[in-house]
Amino acid sequence: MIMNDINTYRHQPRLLFEDMREYSTLAGTGEIARRYLAMNAFDGVLTIIGVLMGNYVGGVQDPEVVINIGLSTSLAMGISGLWGAYLTESAERERELAKLEQATLSSLRQTKIGKASRLAVITVSLVDGFAPFAAAMIVLLPLFFAAAIGNVMVTYLLSLMTALLTLFGLGIFLGKISGRSLIGYGLRTLLAGFVSITLSFLLGGGHGG
Amino acid sequence: MNSLRRLVLDVLKPLEPSIVDLAQVLATLEGVEGVNISIYEIDHLVENAKITIEGPEISYAKVEEIIAENGGAIHSIDEVAAGKLLIEDVTTPQG
Repeated sequence: MIMNDINTYRHQPRLLFEDMREYSTLAGTGEIARRYLAMNAFDGVLTIIGVLMGNYVGGVQDPEVVINIGLSTSLAMGISGLWGAYLTESAERERELAKLEQATLSSLRQTKIGKASRLAVITVSLVDGFAPFAAAMIVLLPLFFAAAIGNVMVTYLLSLMTALLTLFGLGIFLGKISGRSLIGYGLRTLLAGFVSITLSFLLGGGHGG
Repeated sequence: MNSLRRLVLDVLKPLEPSIVDLAQVLATLEGVEGVNISIYEIDHLVENAKITIEGPEISYAKVEEIIAENGGAIHSIDEVAAGKLLIEDVTTPQG
């Protein structure tokens, strides 16, 4: 099959998916994206646990303040992921392509290999930016319903429980990838959450505001 | 009129896309009936492949395009057969 252009894709979107799948296999994008997804979602949840606990031990009673801090932190994590992954991934891919070009003695930029490499950079950057942002937003979700919940302490507790649940879910995802015990992985990621919560709690003198 | 019936090419290509993919793509070309790719030298990042293509109406331009988009470079055209009949190489006293 000769490489398709945008007009072909417009008329046959199925071809776009086929090509993207082929490029993804060629550049090994799936594996890297999966790794980034788990690692950065994990980062996102633990960071927001830090934000929640910091606010809790600091005695912040206004959910709006917590939301604002949480949103800014999530955004910063998203931007950091996107930017960081784009720069590192494109540098690595460029280096790999240059090495291959040296071996083939020809330019590979317009070949499937070059295109797959560029698509990999974009995909991985998006995953790297989106994963911590989305994970953080999930944890912050109960805070948006603080008014309906009524009690700010219950809201904190609900958010922390959501965080632990998300961590457990991530563990299950990792367990599924490894083909090993789902619960085992789930408990290990969960433990990280408990450690983080406990340390923050102790840091605040063992009590909330 | 296009009457290319056999092409034997010496190609230097990266290890990926694999020759499995390349052979399948070449075999889907119009006017091609069969493809054989054999590797005679393999390196850390690249390999040398002998690509044999047969069919009633092979388009050399299309074959070249597909090999290029898969990262390969044609180093030489080692055998060509064209016409109504597929003529095999004739052994002569010179070789």
